[in-house]
Amino acid sequence: MSGYPADRYYDELIAADGSARPHAERLVEYFGSLPPDELVARQRAANATILDMGISFTIYSEGDNIDRAWPLDIIPRAMPGSEWDRIERGLVQRVTALNRFIDDLYNERKIIADGVVPAEIIDSSRNYLAACRGAKPRHGVWAHVCGTDLVRDGDGTLYVLEDNLRVPSGVSYMLENRNVIKRVFPSLFGTHRIRPVNEYPSQLAAMLRSLAPPGHDSEPEIVVWTPGIYNSAYFEHSYLARTMGAELIEGGDLLVDDDVVYMRTIDGLKRVDTIYRRIDDTFIDPEAFRPDSMLGVPGIMRAWRAGNVALANAPGSGVADDKVVYSYVPEIIRYYLGEDAIIPNVPTWRCSDPQQLAHVLANIEQLVVKPANESGGYGMLVGPHAARAEHEQFRRLLKADPRNYIAQPTLSLSTAPTLCGQALEPRHLDLRPFILQGATTSVTAGGLTRVAMRKGSLVVNSSQGGGSKDTWIVEDGA
Amino acid sequence: MMLSRAAERVYWTGRYLERAEGTARIAQQYSQLFLDLPPDVGAEWYDLVTIFGAMQAFADSGRGRTENDILQFLLAEEAGPSSLMYSLRALRENVRNSRDLLPHESWENVNELYHVSREQLALAAAGENRFEILSDCIGRCQQVYGILAATMSHHSPYRFLVLGQNIERADMTSRIIDVAAAYLREDERQVLRYESTLWSNVLRSVSGFQMYRQYCQPQVNGVGVVRFLLGDSAFPRAVQCCLDAARDSAAALPAGEDVIAALAAANELVTGLDVEAMTAAEASALMDRLQAALGRAHEAVVARWFLPGDAA
Repeated sequence: MSGYPADRYYDELIAADGSARPHAERLVEYFGSLPPDELVARQRAANATILDMGISFTIYSEGDNIDRAWPLDIIPRAMPGSEWDRIERGLVQRVTALNRFIDDLYNERKIIADGVVPAEIIDSSRNYLAACRGAKPRHGVWAHVCGTDLVRDGDGTLYVLEDNLRVPSGVSYMLENRNVIKRVFPSLFGTHRIRPVNEYPSQLAAMLRSLAPPGHDSEPEIVVWTPGIYNSAYFEHSYLARTMGAELIEGGDLLVDDDVVYMRTIDGLKRVDTIYRRIDDTFIDPEAFRPDSMLGVPGIMRAWRAGNVALANAPGSGVADDKVVYSYVPEIIRYYLGEDAIIPNVPTWRCSDPQQLAHVLANIEQLVVKPANESGGYGMLVGPHAARAEHEQFRRLLKADPRNYIAQPTLSLSTAPTLCGQALEPRHLDLRPFILQGATTSVTAGGLTRVAMRKGSLVVNSSQGGGSKDTWIVEDGA
Repeated sequence: MMLSRAAERVYWTGRYLERAEGTARIAQQYSQLFLDLPPDVGAEWYDLVTIFGAMQAFADSGRGRTENDILQFLLAEEAGPSSLMYSLRALRENVRNSRDLLPHESWENVNELYHVSREQLALAAAGENRFEILSDCIGRCQQVYGILAATMSHHSPYRFLVLGQNIERADMTSRIIDVAAAYLREDERQVLRYESTLWSNVLRSVSGFQMYRQYCQPQVNGVGVVRFLLGDSAFPRAVQCCLDAARDSAAALPAGEDVIAALAAANELVTGLDVEAMTAAEASALMDRLQAALGRAHEAVVARWFLPGDAA
C-alpha cells in the first residue's frame, strides 16, 4: 500500500517501515492490488448488503427515525492467532477473578478484611446493591456476559481499557460484520485461516442453560428481556433471541407468583428459568429498586434470591466495572488466583488518594479523566483535546468529588487502514471481545472492532460517528 | 408458543387497520351523501361524531360543528382517539413492534401509509381532493391486507390478525348502518324520496353494491340493504360473515370457548331478524346493542389470551 502513512501510530496491519506485518501479508497484498474504484464498489456492495439484511442501530436523539444502517468499513482488522491465544487466556483470567471478587463482596467480603480493596470504595459505589447481599448464583458466577475493551498503545502493548459487566452490547454486530464481509469478499476466506465467530449464539444459549435452576426435567425456558423497541440495542436483543431460539420478552410479559417467574402466553402461564436481561439491574424490580420503573417486574428479585430463576448478568455485577475498582483489578487477580495479570491495565491514578489527586490536578492537560460510573464515553475529559476552561471545570469536579474520578495517560491508540473516500487512511480503533462464563468459560475469537472514522479522532462510539470492522484472528502457525 | 403481548399487538394490528379503512369509508360515504341529498333533508355533519361515540372528546376539543372542524377532528387530529390519523399511528406502532411476526413489506407499506396520510388528511378534511385522498387511503389499507393475507402462514399470529379484523369490521358495518338510520330518524317521510340514493350510498361505502345486486335483489331499499349487511353469510363485510370468520379464528386458537360464546351472543342479535317490521329507531338501537356485544367479545379475547394469570 504505497503512500500509506504507518509511522505515526502503531498500525495493526502495516509496520512502521511500510511493509505488511507478517499475519497481514496476504490481506494487505489483496487490498493493495484493488484499484480505488473497486474498493469503493465493494464498500457500496457492503452497504447494500447491510440494508438488505436489516442490520441497524438506533440513535435516541433522532426521534422518529429510529433505525440507522450499521457502519462497517470493509477492510478487516487482523491479529495473529498466537497473540490472540495469550489475550484469550488473559480475558479468562480476568473474568474469573472478577466473578470471584463480586461473589466475595456480596458474601464474606474477605478481600476487604484482608486490606486489599478498601471498604469505602465498595460501599460508596452506587453499583453495589445491598439487595444482593448473601445471594449465591449458580457456579458462583455473577457476570455471565462481559465485554472487555482492549486498546493498543504506540509501543504495541495491548491494555484493558475497561470492563463492561452490566449489559455489554455489540456482539450481534461482530457476527453480522463477518457475515457481510464473507458475502463481499468470499475469495479472501479461501486464502486465509480465520477463526470463526459464528458459534457465539449457541455458546450463549449453552451458558444460559447452565444457569437454569436445577431440578426439573424439561428443557429450561430461556428468554431475552429487552426494554423495548426504542432501546438503542433493540436490534441486538432481537437478533440474539432469534439466533438462540429464545423468546424476546418485555417486562409486561412476565409475572411472579409464589417466587416463581412466568411469562404470559396464549396457552396460559409458562415458567421461565433463565432471563438474559438487557435492562439495567435497578430497573428490573420496582419492589427492590426503583419504584418508578415501568419496565420492571415486581417480585423478580425475590424469585432470584430464592434460586427459582437465573438472571444474567446477576444484579449487582456492575460493582466490578466501577472505574475505581478497575484500578485494583491487577491486585484482585493476584488475590484470588495467585497470578500476575496477563493483560495489563492502563496505568491509572485514583483521585481518592490525595497524592495521586495532586498529580492529576497538576497534569490534567495531558491526562484522560473519567467518572467512575459512566459508560459510553460520557462525562469524561480528554486533556490534550480540551480547552483551558474545561481543564478548570474538571479540576473543580475532582476536588469536589475525588472518589468519583480516575485519570489515565492519553494513549496513542493504534490504527488500521480504513477506506476514507477513495483512499486507505489510518484510523484509530479499539476492540471489544465478549467473554461468556457459566458452568464453563468461552471467549469470542476477536470481537467487535470499533473505529473512529474522523481523522485524528479517538471516539469510536457508533452514536458519535464511529464505524466498525470485521476482526480476524489469523492462524499464524506459531 | 406465542407471547400474549405479541398476540395482542397482532390483534390490534387487525383492528386498527380495519378501523382506519372503515373511518375513511364512513367519511367518504358521508361526503358523497351531502352531494346527493338536498339541504332540506336535515343531515348534519355532527351525526358523524355521534356515530363514533366521540361526543365528549369532541366537546373537549373545543371545535365547532362545522364540516371542516368535524372532519379535522375525525380524520386529521392525531391526538384524539377517534380519528383516522390516530388509528394509523396506532397501526404503525403495532406493526413496528410485530416485525418479527409480520411480513417485511407490510411494515414498509404501513409506514408509507402513515407518512402520506399525515401530509394529506388535513387537506382532505378541508375539502381539498377529499375523494381522491380518502380513496388512496382506503386503497393503501387494502394493499396492506393483501400483503398479510397473501404471505402469512395460517398459524396463531394470522388467527389473531383475522380475529381483530373481523370484530372491528362487524363494528364498522354496524356504524355504517347507523349512519343511514340517523337520517331516517330525522324525518322519515322526507328522506323516503331519496331512499334509493341513501342506501345505494351505504352499499357503495362497503364496496357492496355489486354483490348485493348479483346475489341479493336488484332493487335497492332499506330493508334489503340492512338485511344484507347484517345477515348475509357470504359478503365479507356483512356482520354475519364477520362473526363467522371471527369464530373460526377463535376456534383455531387454544381454549377459546369463552370467546366463541361471546361471539355467539353477538350472533344472536342478527339472527332471524324481521327487518321489514323494524322502525329506524329500532334499527339504530339494535346497532348499539350489537356494538356492546362486540365489546364483550373483545373483553373475552383480552381475558383469555392477553392477560393470563390476571383473571380469577
